[in-house]
Amino acid sequence: MILHTLNAAPSSPAFNDCLKIARTHDALVLMGDGVYAAIDSAEAYSALLSCGAKLYMLLTDAKVAGISAPGANITAIDMDDLVALTEEFPRQQAWY
Amino acid sequence: MLPTSHFDTDGFLRNLSDWNPQVAEQIAMAEGIKLEPSHWEILELLRTYYVEFDSSPAMRALVKYCALNLGPDKGKSIYLLSLFPGSPAKIGCKVAGLPKPDNCL
Amino acid sequence: MTTRDKKRMLVVIRHSPYGSSLAKASLDVVLAAAAFEQNIALLFLGDGVLQLIPRQESSALGKKNIGRQLASLPLYDIDSVYVDAEAAARYNIDLTISPVDTQSISTGEIHQLMTEFDHILGF
Repeated sequence: MILHTLNAAPSSPAFNDCLKIARTHDALVLMGDGVYAAIDSAEAYSALLSCGAKLYMLLTDAKVAGISAPGANITAIDMDDLVALTEEFPRQQAWY
Repeated sequence: MLPTSHFDTDGFLRNLSDWNPQVAEQIAMAEGIKLEPSHWEILELLRTYYVEFDSSPAMRALVKYCALNLGPDKGKSIYLLSLFPGSPAKIGCKVAGLPKPDNCL
Repeated sequence: MTTRDKKRMLVVIRHSPYGSSLAKASLDVVLAAAAFEQNIALLFLGDGVLQLIPRQESSALGKKNIGRQLASLPLYDIDSVYVDAEAAARYNIDLTISPVDTQSISTGEIHQLMTEFDHILGF
């Protein structure tokens, strides 16, 4: 079980690398430019869904980006929730 | 004698190209070391290391590099400590005209 | 401290050697950890494999040569160096002449490798 934090736009190598590694039982948090992958029905969102990880996004970053209608499988979280996730997952990989 | 302005506050050469055997003698003297052939053998190895790996070795790497190149008797901390007392990697690099190793303990 | 008590750390390297200071930073961490005899392994993933291109000549940039510095890892007893085989193939990197000996692993094996370590550090 790995906690992935994805802070890179969907066309970046970091985004692609992350999706190659993340899988079921992992958690994946979109933050910074990563939140653009949350846009519902967009190609990047489909790619996210297919990796199998549980999906989250930082609500503050999504608001900044103007993501008003994220995909239904994404849970919006705040900083406290992110800290809770880091406690739950001993291993974390930052993709940026 | 190179003037002190050519050295940093820790006594390392600012400009690596200023180094020559006379400068090595000068730095060694400041460290209280009289250079013998056994010292020069390590100094040459340090300079070879620097060219090969573009870095100054920490103690661990220096010991292993000496073992590989000079044999197991010289690839020992105690041997290096006898030549460059205190901190062989740091003092050896200083005398060899190389930058201070990162992470030297 | 026995080997069993030590935490095992995997350093995941994902960026090119000279495009940022990340490669230098990862080397600093790896060599510092080695100086303290920590149990450490490296994984070159994605664009990180570009650090394994042989015969880098960074002196024109006035930067330290990442390839040559990687070559010193065995002297710090760092022998676990893994490489994303797919990325190395994508860039046509000949790993037989790369600065440091590596073990190639497939994309499917990377997740398993990461879970075998207590901590992951990403660069």
